[in-house]
Amino acid sequence: MLKIIIKKEFLSSVRDVRLQVSAAILLSLMITAVLVGKEGQRQIQKQREAAQSAMYDQWLNQGNKHPHSAAHFGQFAFKPKPILSFLDVGLDHYTGVSVFLEAHKQNEVLFSGAQDSNGMTRFGELTGALIFQLLLPLLIIFLAFNTFTKEREEGTLKMIHAQGLSMRTLLMGKVWGIYLMVLLLFIPIIFLAYLLLDRQSSSLDTEVTVKFLSLTGLYSLYFLLFVMMAVLISGFSKNSGFSLLTLLGIWIVACIILPKATTNFAGKLYPTPSQFEFRQAIKEKVKNGIDGHNPSDARLATLKQQVLDEYGVSTVEELPVNWGGIAMQAGEEYTDDVYDQEFSKIEQIFKQQNRLSEWMGFIDPYLAIRHLSMGLAGTDFNHHVLFARKAENYRRAFVKKMNKDMELNHKPGVAYADYNADKDMWAQVEPFEYHLPDTVSILRDQWRGMAALAFWLIILLIISVKYSNRISGL
Amino acid sequence: MFFTAYERGHPAFLSKIHQKYFCPGSRISFPGKFIKIAGFRLIILSKTIFIMLEAVRLSKTFDKHEALKSLNLKVSPGELFCLLGANGAGKTTTINLFMGFIEPTLGEVKINGLDVTRHAKETKKRLAYIPENLNLYGNLTGMENLQFFAGLGGTPTDKATATQLLTEAGLQKEAVIKRVSQYSKGMRQKVGIAIAKAKNAENLLLDEPTSGLDPEASNDFAQLLMSMRENGVAILMTTHDLFRAKASGTHIGIMKSGELIHTLKSSDISLNELERLYLETMKSTVYA
Repeated sequence: MLKIIIKKEFLSSVRDVRLQVSAAILLSLMITAVLVGKEGQRQIQKQREAAQSAMYDQWLNQGNKHPHSAAHFGQFAFKPKPILSFLDVGLDHYTGVSVFLEAHKQNEVLFSGAQDSNGMTRFGELTGALIFQLLLPLLIIFLAFNTFTKEREEGTLKMIHAQGLSMRTLLMGKVWGIYLMVLLLFIPIIFLAYLLLDRQSSSLDTEVTVKFLSLTGLYSLYFLLFVMMAVLISGFSKNSGFSLLTLLGIWIVACIILPKATTNFAGKLYPTPSQFEFRQAIKEKVKNGIDGHNPSDARLATLKQQVLDEYGVSTVEELPVNWGGIAMQAGEEYTDDVYDQEFSKIEQIFKQQNRLSEWMGFIDPYLAIRHLSMGLAGTDFNHHVLFARKAENYRRAFVKKMNKDMELNHKPGVAYADYNADKDMWAQVEPFEYHLPDTVSILRDQWRGMAALAFWLIILLIISVKYSNRISGL
Repeated sequence: MFFTAYERGHPAFLSKIHQKYFCPGSRISFPGKFIKIAGFRLIILSKTIFIMLEAVRLSKTFDKHEALKSLNLKVSPGELFCLLGANGAGKTTTINLFMGFIEPTLGEVKINGLDVTRHAKETKKRLAYIPENLNLYGNLTGMENLQFFAGLGGTPTDKATATQLLTEAGLQKEAVIKRVSQYSKGMRQKVGIAIAKAKNAENLLLDEPTSGLDPEASNDFAQLLMSMRENGVAILMTTHDLFRAKASGTHIGIMKSGELIHTLKSSDISLNELERLYLETMKSTVYA
């Protein structure tokens, strides 16, 4: 029975000229988004790889100098453009692409796309995510808003009712018929995207495929929710106008108003300090700590005494190691603590804001899929934090290496300018590399989004099963 | 119980008895109740079990308006009962009650002895329905529409059978694969008949099916009904067309203000007498 209804729904949709036109527009938009997005991602990644490599070359070829000067010379870490980011750019535009890594200081990731863009960026880039999350649901609404009401208005529902078919079976048939039509638009595009990955990405591996399949599955579920909701609303609406208005209202609230309201509400509930306040707090704490560059620093004097006692000597000149190196590392570790505290505070605030948005997925499935999509594409806030942490760990490691070299090899009494390390020393610092987390850890982190989609599916299934027979056949 | 047995099929002689004594030409094979006493199969034949469509003291009230007042009506296999009446007389309400589209306020509606309200699914299986404006899916062909509705009715129909049914219903062969949006009303009604035939239903309900049809199409339609009636289908049809009611119907009922005023056999009255009776009834409605 279901097969008969699915076939009819599918045929009716396929033969509807208005739907043919809107589907063709959407299809061309999707193809454009995928092709342009993939090319953009490839170029950006190429640029970042080239920049990362050039910066490392610069590091290696910085010439002979004191290791602490080399720590100040610093390095750059470039955030790789994830392979799947062509489907969802997520927060990439706002989170910056590179960070300068230097001694004493944890810099922020800078040069976000939004800094170089005009106000149009706020309207979003034409990406697969924009189409899948916003436009395809809109097409679903136009496909399904009158699926029941039109039949009721034209009297065909009465004919169906006369055949003894239950409204539940009819509803399910309509849901699957329209869903099939949606998948017919979605699957070829996603397949095309996969083919593009295969050809252009040298680093295509199982992990990317798993992420890609997860993304496909979750989007398919998201579309099913919209189809079910649209068909149910059509079933319980008195006429097509009311059904369309209700569905468009839901779309506007779910896809435009609620996400914005959630962001604003999260910002009010968990306010972030201004850039000035943030920097000022760090500056104050650093000022109160150990200053490796200041020999008259009181805390440094205490540390010096501890080191002298440890080695059983009375002056730093008698130490077998370079006191300056130890002082530098101590200062470094203190500032690291300060940065850890302040950055974790701000990270915690952003995390709380994100969590709130993720929980809101139980009210608005658009928010759920948005977080899941960004997460799997590698363009969400979590990835940014992971990259920043990885870059910071790298910074600390290479600065420590420089300080250790100073401590062990810069003999006491030798002037700062007279001790230089060379390329061999610089080469001991491995190039910066960042790898995206695996699918399991992403999905574990994004469990709220998946739970929200499952919750919506269950709710809609319950309504469909329990209340569909209340749909009037007349 | 009886109808369950009926569905399972029965010996040929039962069918012969039925056809010979109760309903000549009927394809219905088992009219009686089956009992087994001391190893002998006995059949209990009763007049009541021949009633396919039955309304018992049927009333329907919409808000405060009494659309139907204690209607009693019976249609047996091979009968075509025509309900005549002015607009608002309760004809369509009667059909809607038989279809289970609305529930009675009082009384019972039975199809093959089963209460429509309590056995909605079962009774619909035994019914075919053609409304005044048979609305089909415009972007599907006649054949696709037939296959869809027949499939929903539980009788999946292949292309060859669908074509045969549609052409038998009077549709041109080339029209079968045309989209219904290009069909005239008459062609749509023919598709309706083909759907009813595909469903192989024992009962047919028609709500003013010939209104708006040209005389030729109306005549074609009447011929189709006659052939279905001859095959033992019980037909209840509402109409304004006195001539068609007299020509095609076996029984005629005249309704006014929700009441069935007259029930008569078509063979017992001439067209002129029917017209006079109808007009008198209508007038009495006006002056009532």
